[in-house]
Amino acid sequence: MTAKVLVLAGYGLNCEEETLHGFEHAGLSGQIRHINDLIDSPKELDEIQILAIPGGFSYGDDTGAGNAYAQKLKLALWEPLQKFIARDTLTIGICNGCQILTNLGLNPPTGTPYGDRKIAVTYNETARYQCRWIDLKITSTSPWLNGIERMHIPVAHGEGRFMMSDETLKTLQDNGQIAAQYIKPDDTPANGEFPYNPNGSLNDIAAITDETGRILTIMPHPERGMFTSQRDDYMQIKDTARREGKPLPETTGGMALFHNAAQYFEVAQKKTA
Amino acid sequence: MTTRIEVLASPEDGRAKTLEKTLKRQGKTAQVRVVDVYTSQHPAAANDGFESSLANPVTQTIVPLSSRQKPGSSDEKEKDSGVRRKDDYGLNFDWALEIGFLPGVTDNVGHTAEELLSLTRHSGAGRNPSKDQAEWIPEQVRDDKSAVYSSKLYLIKGDLERSDIEALSQSLANTLIQRTTIKSAADFKTDGGMETIVPKVALRAQDIECAKKIDLNNLSDDELMEISQKGIRDTAGFYRGPLGLPLVYMKAIQEHYNDKTITDIELETIAQTWSEHCKHTIFASPIDNVSEGLYKGYIKRATKEIRELKGENDICVSVFSDNAGGIIFDENYLITDKVETHNSPSALDPFGGAITGIVGVNRDCIGFGQGAKPVINRYGFCLADPRTSPEYYRDKNCTIPVLSPETIMKGVIDGVEAGGNQSGIPTPQGFVTFDDRFVGKPLVFVGTIGLIPREINGKPGHVKKANPGDKIVVAGGRVGRDGIHGATFSSVALDEGSPATAVQIGDPITQKKMSDAIIKEIRGYGWYSAITDNGAGGMSSSIGEMAESSGGFHVELDKVPLKYPGMAPWEIWISESQERMTMAVPEENVEKLIAHFAKRGVEATVVGTYTDTGRAHITWHGETIMDMEMDFLHDGNPETPLKTTFTRGGEAEPDVNEPADHTQTLLDLLGRLNICSKEFISTQYDHNVQGSAVMGPLQGPGRVYAETSITRPLLSSNKGVVLSQGLFPRYSDIDTAAMAAAGLDLAVRNAVAAGVDLNQLALLDNFCWCSSDEPERLGQLKRAVETIYDMAVKYETPFISGKDSMFNDFKGFDADGQPVKISAPPTLLVSSIGVIPDVERSIDLAPKAVGDLVYLLGATKDECGASEYYDHLGHLGNNVPETDSHQNLRLYRLYGRAARDRLIASAYALNYGGLGMALAKKAIAAQMGMDIDLSSLCHCHSDRSDSEVEESFQPSNGKDPSTAQQSCSARDDTLRTDKLLYSESTGRILVTIAPQDKAAFEKNFKGYEHCTMIGHIAYGNKLNIKNILEVELNKLDEVYKRTLEDY
Repeated sequence: MTAKVLVLAGYGLNCEEETLHGFEHAGLSGQIRHINDLIDSPKELDEIQILAIPGGFSYGDDTGAGNAYAQKLKLALWEPLQKFIARDTLTIGICNGCQILTNLGLNPPTGTPYGDRKIAVTYNETARYQCRWIDLKITSTSPWLNGIERMHIPVAHGEGRFMMSDETLKTLQDNGQIAAQYIKPDDTPANGEFPYNPNGSLNDIAAITDETGRILTIMPHPERGMFTSQRDDYMQIKDTARREGKPLPETTGGMALFHNAAQYFEVAQKKTA
Repeated sequence: MTTRIEVLASPEDGRAKTLEKTLKRQGKTAQVRVVDVYTSQHPAAANDGFESSLANPVTQTIVPLSSRQKPGSSDEKEKDSGVRRKDDYGLNFDWALEIGFLPGVTDNVGHTAEELLSLTRHSGAGRNPSKDQAEWIPEQVRDDKSAVYSSKLYLIKGDLERSDIEALSQSLANTLIQRTTIKSAADFKTDGGMETIVPKVALRAQDIECAKKIDLNNLSDDELMEISQKGIRDTAGFYRGPLGLPLVYMKAIQEHYNDKTITDIELETIAQTWSEHCKHTIFASPIDNVSEGLYKGYIKRATKEIRELKGENDICVSVFSDNAGGIIFDENYLITDKVETHNSPSALDPFGGAITGIVGVNRDCIGFGQGAKPVINRYGFCLADPRTSPEYYRDKNCTIPVLSPETIMKGVIDGVEAGGNQSGIPTPQGFVTFDDRFVGKPLVFVGTIGLIPREINGKPGHVKKANPGDKIVVAGGRVGRDGIHGATFSSVALDEGSPATAVQIGDPITQKKMSDAIIKEIRGYGWYSAITDNGAGGMSSSIGEMAESSGGFHVELDKVPLKYPGMAPWEIWISESQERMTMAVPEENVEKLIAHFAKRGVEATVVGTYTDTGRAHITWHGETIMDMEMDFLHDGNPETPLKTTFTRGGEAEPDVNEPADHTQTLLDLLGRLNICSKEFISTQYDHNVQGSAVMGPLQGPGRVYAETSITRPLLSSNKGVVLSQGLFPRYSDIDTAAMAAAGLDLAVRNAVAAGVDLNQLALLDNFCWCSSDEPERLGQLKRAVETIYDMAVKYETPFISGKDSMFNDFKGFDADGQPVKISAPPTLLVSSIGVIPDVERSIDLAPKAVGDLVYLLGATKDECGASEYYDHLGHLGNNVPETDSHQNLRLYRLYGRAARDRLIASAYALNYGGLGMALAKKAIAAQMGMDIDLSSLCHCHSDRSDSEVEESFQPSNGKDPSTAQQSCSARDDTLRTDKLLYSESTGRILVTIAPQDKAAFEKNFKGYEHCTMIGHIAYGNKLNIKNILEVELNKLDEVYKRTLEDY
């Protein structure tokens, strides 16, 4: 048995298909579920190992990106969700999914219970939607990010700026919960500088995990940077490959996250076998 | 009881910071705080649960109410007054500016807050909301009282005058749809904060005039035209807005109704159905000796002839008969394309016009065949210079100014951003073209590409048919007064009588919920037999069109769900409220269809039945208010033969001196609006959602704003969709034939350059004309149409869809109150869509490696008429580029072979600003130097042999390609350097190739005389054109990106 994935949809989430495609390409099987269907049968959460909340524009970002969808999840599915994350499962929120999980308080600083909002993902400093490729430095022991040091993937959001108190920041730092930070192409920190840090995020933060590392909340889009042909430098890469007579790799950076998810459950399975 | 909740954002809020920066640019220093305000009359809005669902505790605080209660209030939870003191905000400010919506205007934030109110109030008191599904559906519980209204309050501290705040207010709000309140700190204190305003629509039911009867008999021509131009007159004496019908149509209606009265809804329906916007009468009418009219006689005929010619290789599947055109993508899928315009609404409310445009054309895609999935959006804007502030007014007394070019530009960009991004559809493809004659009426193009299985439930995916007995089901948003007379209004010129109700705002999330339910679920269940969208004319159009296949309809108009009570039947029938699809549903499927929509938070309602009675029949609470023959409704409009004249425009060719400083001229042109970077638009538009991006809008490390994109709509396939377009409005000043030819050629050439085979390419035509009631304008039109017929047939690129907008004229007044008419230049936009078998074959514009060779393909002629170069010098000229489609076709076929063999490393189809701009953009894109020598381009070389070409350059070793020096000055036809650089001759492509491909490349083009090596990609950071100019890369980069960087 391979691990089963559930990708949430509905109310303006819109990256569910490509996100599921990433998991499937990594050998996992899964399904897209409308939130209302999951509310109808919350037991489904007991049968899956991976929950993904994809990118999108749930409720049009009105009242703050991710807020309304998080409110709905909290009111209708809080207990089943608690049970799900208490098990040895993986959860990822990408972009709007990151905003939703953050509004749900599912990436709290160590010591704070799930459900308490200590972190906000809010309007970009430019107050403008940004769709562009960025570079990330990965410093995390999260199973999602196993073996990844650097990623070149796109962001696409109007509200991707992590904000929190100094105390929360310190706790996140001390406990290795800052999963990814924006850097410049030369690997030096973005230091808040646009466009390397595309939203003015505190401490260049692009992704956060909960204290177990099993819940990853990430603003950039790994599923939009998982095939070589998706890359912003694809034209250059394929030209170079042709000149050098080398084959063009099908996948690239972002695919590693999906492979890591598959790997996590394969390993776990071997242990139990 | 009214609750006013105020949510104060932290001082770090990005929206506040951006406003501060905007003020700073105007030389004002201020601190801004943003307060999100929610107002509701529902008792539960006073609950803490609702309040806290609106604020993020990390970055926002709820502004507490002062303890001071409204006099006489005993309820402790009473928050009616909304009274707040300055102290309540915990900050100091000098000004308060609040912006909210006027009654009836779509308030998306308010809707979401309303859903939160519904969620929080149903989850209280130990109830398990998950067991209470029906209660979750906000549409089911929505009523007047549960409405939440959003507004924004800006608290501003700084040394600012009231006039500064008024200016700020003007830049933030559109008074057509929004209300603004400004208060000084003193007023704020005196008044106890801002007023609590509930912008509820208040229409009184007794005001409804149900089916007013109109007697057209014995009306004079003048009286008929008064009805047409001003509208039906209410009993109260008000005109309802223009019908926009010409006299011959009014007389035909009069004659048809000579023995009976006509009801208001009947007359309005005819006006919608016969409107230029819906009927395209100008393209359909006999014109000169072309009895079939321009559409059938040229556009449609071109496609028919091409399809016959291509036989088995025909790529077309559905052309001109549906909401979009469809061509073959692969063995399992079709791709569809449709490009619309939304010009008139965008002139009045740029944001609303553009967002309704893009979500509207998305629905054209959803309404193609059994429903196509939107996979790519296109946009295109024709605007006036945003750096200018021309003064024009809609009224003689100069009280209603037209919106500034900057306001229009920002609004239309934001509208497409909101609509496209929120719908999860990538928007990689677009353009912006500037000409000051777009000042009163901008052109706003929006397009959507769809993907649909060729077979759905065993039936062809592109086929649909409403059958007699099928129920008429309308799903999506509710009907309000928005958009009334949109169809008739866009068919007339914009003037002071233009109705504000024609303006509307889209609600992309309501549409997204509906679209997902249809495309991702219900389509596969096969529950409906036909589907179409509600666009111009609302239900009168969608039901009317679908009923053509069944043979009639019966509608119970009182069943239509409304946003607010009090609308008259005729208003409901023609309202263009957004986000609605109309379906024909066999009776046995109705219940499950409606239930499924409900589960997805979408309201769907049966409003009637398709019939085969031949009648268009409508009742209102059981009483017949419309009963017409379908035949008269659809075919009763009399022919209106058109006559044309044509006079070529242009001046004598100017006698211009060759620039003394070629570098400066190159830079001047590079910074011009039509040439410079529009990167700020591309980065706002999500262009990689759906994971399908291959070749994006910004190309090369230097991020050059590109004209062509490639997308891989199926992640499981390597096939790509290539999109591009071409338009040259200014060429119309000399000859519309040249304008049309250049546009079509560029649309084709861009796509070919990117690697698509000519035989996999289809076209869309969008005519945006002006004053189309004048023979001279019609002559220009006919010439353009004849030209694109010839070219499309020559290239064998069929038209699959098209649209026209014939009256892009602004009629108003100048600053002295003198009448002015500003006509947009006659503009044909040709859009191209093609399929590339493997995205690995795609070719972008950025050179790839130092040492690569640069070739110019195609002939450069003395053609600077109406060019960017002449315009820069203040001339129009006469030598407008003439397109030689025979020569071009030869090149495109040869190029196609080279592209298939992957011999091309980069390619750029020359356009505005010619070779000079192409060279500059290539250097910027690659961030590499170029060594160029133009001497070999002189016409004296046109008869040289290929071996001479090969001998003349050895540049790949880094040596100067100077061996090509040959005398060309002796020949009369030698082009002067400035002409060579800036002529806009069509049919040219600038390519780079790897040195190792040189022999194969030149062999490929053997015998083709216009393939000329002109240099190579060089070490260093300069664009060097030998003996002409040398300019640093970073200078080029700066000039290219500076013009619009502050927007």
